[in-house]
Amino acid sequence: MKKTIRVLIAKPGLDGHDRGALVISQALRDYGMEVIYTGLRQTPEQIAAAAIQEDVDAIGLSCLSGAHNELFPEVMRLLQERGADDIIVVGGGVIPWEDIPFLESKGIKKVFTPGTPTIETAKFIEKTVFERDGISSSKVSAQPPEKIDHIGIAVSSLDETLPFYVNQLGLTLEAIEEVPSQRVKVAFIKIGETRLELLEAMSDDSPIAQFIEKRGQGVHHVALGVSNIQNRIEELKSNGIKMINETPVIGAGGAQVAFMHPSSSHKVLFELCEKSKKEEA
Amino acid sequence: MDKQQRLKNWQEKTEQSMNRFPERKERFHTSSDIEIKRLYGAEDENYPFDTLGLPGEYPYTRGSQSTMYRARFWTMRQYAGFGSAEETNKRFRYLLEQGQTGLSVAFDLPTQIGYDSDHSMARGEVGKVGVAIDSLEDMEALLKDIPLDKVSTSMTINAPASVLLAMYIAVAQKQGVEADQLSGTIQNDILKEYIARGTYIFPPKPSMRLITDIFAYCQSHVPKWNTISISGYHIREAGANAAQELAFTIANGLAYVDAALEAGLKIDDFAPRLAFFFNAHNQFFEEAAKFRAARRMWAKLMKERYGAKNQKSWQLRFHTQTGGSTLTAQQPDNNIVRVTTQALSAILGGTQSLHTNSRDEALALPTEESARIALRTQQILAHETGVADTVDPLAGSYYVESLTDELESKANEYLNKIEQMGGAVSAVEQGYMQREIHHTSYETQKKIENGQEIIVGMNKFTIDNEHQPELLRVDPELGEKQKEKLKALKFTRDQDRVSAQLEMLRSAAKGQDNLMPVILECVKSYCTVGEICGVLREEFGEYTGV
Repeated sequence: MKKTIRVLIAKPGLDGHDRGALVISQALRDYGMEVIYTGLRQTPEQIAAAAIQEDVDAIGLSCLSGAHNELFPEVMRLLQERGADDIIVVGGGVIPWEDIPFLESKGIKKVFTPGTPTIETAKFIEKTVFERDGISSSKVSAQPPEKIDHIGIAVSSLDETLPFYVNQLGLTLEAIEEVPSQRVKVAFIKIGETRLELLEAMSDDSPIAQFIEKRGQGVHHVALGVSNIQNRIEELKSNGIKMINETPVIGAGGAQVAFMHPSSSHKVLFELCEKSKKEEA
Repeated sequence: MDKQQRLKNWQEKTEQSMNRFPERKERFHTSSDIEIKRLYGAEDENYPFDTLGLPGEYPYTRGSQSTMYRARFWTMRQYAGFGSAEETNKRFRYLLEQGQTGLSVAFDLPTQIGYDSDHSMARGEVGKVGVAIDSLEDMEALLKDIPLDKVSTSMTINAPASVLLAMYIAVAQKQGVEADQLSGTIQNDILKEYIARGTYIFPPKPSMRLITDIFAYCQSHVPKWNTISISGYHIREAGANAAQELAFTIANGLAYVDAALEAGLKIDDFAPRLAFFFNAHNQFFEEAAKFRAARRMWAKLMKERYGAKNQKSWQLRFHTQTGGSTLTAQQPDNNIVRVTTQALSAILGGTQSLHTNSRDEALALPTEESARIALRTQQILAHETGVADTVDPLAGSYYVESLTDELESKANEYLNKIEQMGGAVSAVEQGYMQREIHHTSYETQKKIENGQEIIVGMNKFTIDNEHQPELLRVDPELGEKQKEKLKALKFTRDQDRVSAQLEMLRSAAKGQDNLMPVILECVKSYCTVGEICGVLREEFGEYTGV
């Protein structure tokens, strides 16, 4: 079974800037970790106590007020005093480069300066915790997709096909839109929590036109709903899956999508699809 | 009144006012000797008088004064403060010598949260993000040799705003300057602290009382003081978009107006002293439009909803700071360019005062050199570009007018939602604004990480081997020195008077009377910020977040 990493994100001192702490909390959660956020104005004592009580694998300290040189080492000292110095501690915030060697000498594993992608922080924590626990990271399985977001069906003409779905099957047509990146026109048909996506080619060089020419109309792809798509792509790649899109592109409904190469998935074309929470609601 | 007549009246009124406030030049012209008129567009027969008005007239879309920067540039007001009061005093005097026209004080976090430098919670924080002020003694050092009847001073202080304002008044009196001659601003905006900035102390109800006490006190004693600076800046920094910044700021403004009315004040007595504070972010036209929309929205609300009669109550006057969170730690010199375009959007949006950030602020507090470049940026925009030579030059742009309208309508949707929740105080208590901001901020972060949004030098056009600039370091011994100073003060001051004043404060806090006079007596007796806030903490309780 995959180990779920537990992380405490903490704001030591009086600094009230918690945008970064909140963003990193959510990003680590989306990555699959369990995250506890302390809220503002925590003393080093409170942070060490919470970390031990919550039995976390790692602590992320965020400070933008310049008090890091005093507060971060104090957290380390207290963890050590209580025999909890196996907890991985990382830091971030407005921290001058020249302070980083000092903080690292006090046992902070890494300091993430402004502009660090959250995925980098997540991967660092994961790798460091697994190394500590002697878990080989190759055994780590990819996060499972959450649901079937939609099933794509290639059709030669929406006008000819839609009556079957709407009139005969009695389903609801949600919207029709054009997706320039794929040169297709798409009709969404809602069915339960998922959708059927009818795809009509807008030009001869559209992937749908090529698909129909080769294989005729029919089921084209299955889209898996994921959160934090970039993470999933990285994970799949590290597990040897070939991707058609290595970075997400914008698909229908403003979603971020990326296709897996069918040669890696036993000839089924799978799409990863991430919708922002608002669009889904 | 027909349009021709309206324009004629405006011209007459403007020329009259120019007798008192003349324009910077007799004649404004371009490099090709084209004369630059004060105002463009209003002679057009399709000119939309109702939505744009004329500069200095309702609904103030085109600016809060009729001649705007042709008479006087915006106030160049750089936020500064670090370390001890003595060091900050030096930086202030330097900035004034360099042509800065107003002061803006940054306090350290213990001061902002009402702890003395020797409190255990103050560990590591003394003098870090601003100047450490424990007692009147520090305030005297901070303002030494600065003529308080001549400069206007803005103080970024919220939960303990009454205490720091009282200290400012007390120092002025020692200089022989009466309170009614003082001009300046206290931020005093607690709602955005709960939403975005985090330096709250007390729960909402007593906090609102402290605020309305200041309104009432200043109205009769410090009439030229801006009693609050209702701030969207930090809401934006926390991750909101332009429409959210606009909406939540105005919603908070309405909550203060309602609280003051409920406390028995009259709208036209306090509304003219309300000031605003916005962020100037990256999207150039949207930012300029945001400022224009803000003026129009506030004017309509004050006039139509609250029935304000005084034109000064309708006018939204604001300070702007360029967006700190847009600065990158990578290739920090690029930040100078960001700051320039952001500052330009604020100028084209008609700001009354402006702070331009320094290039190194994603790394540390600015060095003196960086702070000077930031000020020079404003001076170049003012003196070399000609953008300040005509009023509201973006007016009539199809794009900008449309953005102005759309921001207003998006913000109004939020305002309606907040009203349905029972107003801003209750929306804050329910965590509504906080959630909306976090959602936007997380979506932005994802867009940056997957390359949908490009940040030059950070996720594109990056370089290896970044040059590491010199950074400002705050004296690490300062915390200890400040503790020593405090110890000495407690030894030399009249301890009986201190205790008596603090007891009077306690009983005033239990009652209904205005707290300002008793706080003023406390600071004059050298009670510390921590002692005064300590008594209020015991009486009012502490806010612990949602």
